Amino acid sequence: MASTGVSALRVEDPETVEQEAGRASVIKEVPQGAPWTMVEEAIFRRRSIRKYKRKQVPEHLIRRILEAGRFAPSQGNCQPWKFLVIRDADMIQEMEDFCVEACKKLQRNLDYTQHPKGSFKRFTMRLLARVFNRLQPKMLHPVPVTAMTSIAQGRFAVFHKAPTVIVLLMNKRGIGTPEIDIGICGTNIVLAAQSLGLGTCWVGFSKFLGQNKQWRERLGVEEPYELVEAITVGYPIGDPTRLIARDTPQIAWFEGGRKQILY
Amino acid sequence: MGLFSTLFSKEDRLPEWDDPRDCYFTRVAVDLDKCDGCKLCTLVCPANVLELFGDKGKKKARVKESSRGCISCNNCYAICSNGAIAASEAPRLAGYYGHVKHGAFQPPRTF
Repeated sequence: MASTGVSALRVEDPETVEQEAGRASVIKEVPQGAPWTMVEEAIFRRRSIRKYKRKQVPEHLIRRILEAGRFAPSQGNCQPWKFLVIRDADMIQEMEDFCVEACKKLQRNLDYTQHPKGSFKRFTMRLLARVFNRLQPKMLHPVPVTAMTSIAQGRFAVFHKAPTVIVLLMNKRGIGTPEIDIGICGTNIVLAAQSLGLGTCWVGFSKFLGQNKQWRERLGVEEPYELVEAITVGYPIGDPTRLIARDTPQIAWFEGGRKQILY
Repeated sequence: MGLFSTLFSKEDRLPEWDDPRDCYFTRVAVDLDKCDGCKLCTLVCPANVLELFGDKGKKKARVKESSRGCISCNNCYAICSNGAIAASEAPRLAGYYGHVKHGAFQPPRTF
């Protein structure tokens, strides 16, 4: 057969190759109902911690959980992340104040429920809010809107007085969908922290900092990087590690030429 | 889904932010027989939904009448050593955000 310049697909059976090389690996199948592994423990016992002890987290532990982030999988191994670590209580307070102020501004201009039903103000604001809601159905989802209102009214915090805040920056010029890679990186950080006895919480409202020029300069967020999320880190109050229940999403299972719906 | 349906279809209408039939935030339930008034749940609740009530020495936790409802973080459930608090479900939303179907509420399973 004439060479096409394209190498043919390998046709050897990988398992045969493994055996012939005398390096066949052994399958260790975990039996049904076996106890949770340490990774599973970290996954199932992780809660979003929003009340922290005053004690600062030692530097080596923060460095260590960032290592877990550094080793996250990414598209084309592009590693589109960069981290900021903020450990000065004053600076975190300033970040908090700025985000609260941003929530207040947004709430004043958006939250039509602050005006009584039937009022003209409510009518016009509701109309405007609904146009924005259609344009931004994820950002103006009722849940973050309620959180934003609670923050504006002082009933909910942004950075939860955490001793350390990790800010995740994303390389906008990363491969494919770097947002997903940042999510995976953050999950590694959060689970590593959980396994080291630390509490964490994702802070989406930190995005306001990235939308402000002064804060971008102060934090050193430069092109091609973009501030996407923050994670608060600290020692949790109490021991919030009981296993909780969750909704079961639908699983469509294709096997033996059939489709089954499982939960 | 075309522009028309997202704008005018009844099924995809945007929920009213202050109507509990459209946006229902779970309210956690406290079992008063099991609660020993340790106060940890009220402390740990980020949405400030829980409070203590009752006489000194016999205090119990309860959901604040004025609260908007909880954010389903389940920290109160996870921190309660007496099992007095029921786990809370995610908020339920109608219309555009309501196209969600799932099975029962379950703890992690090993199968």
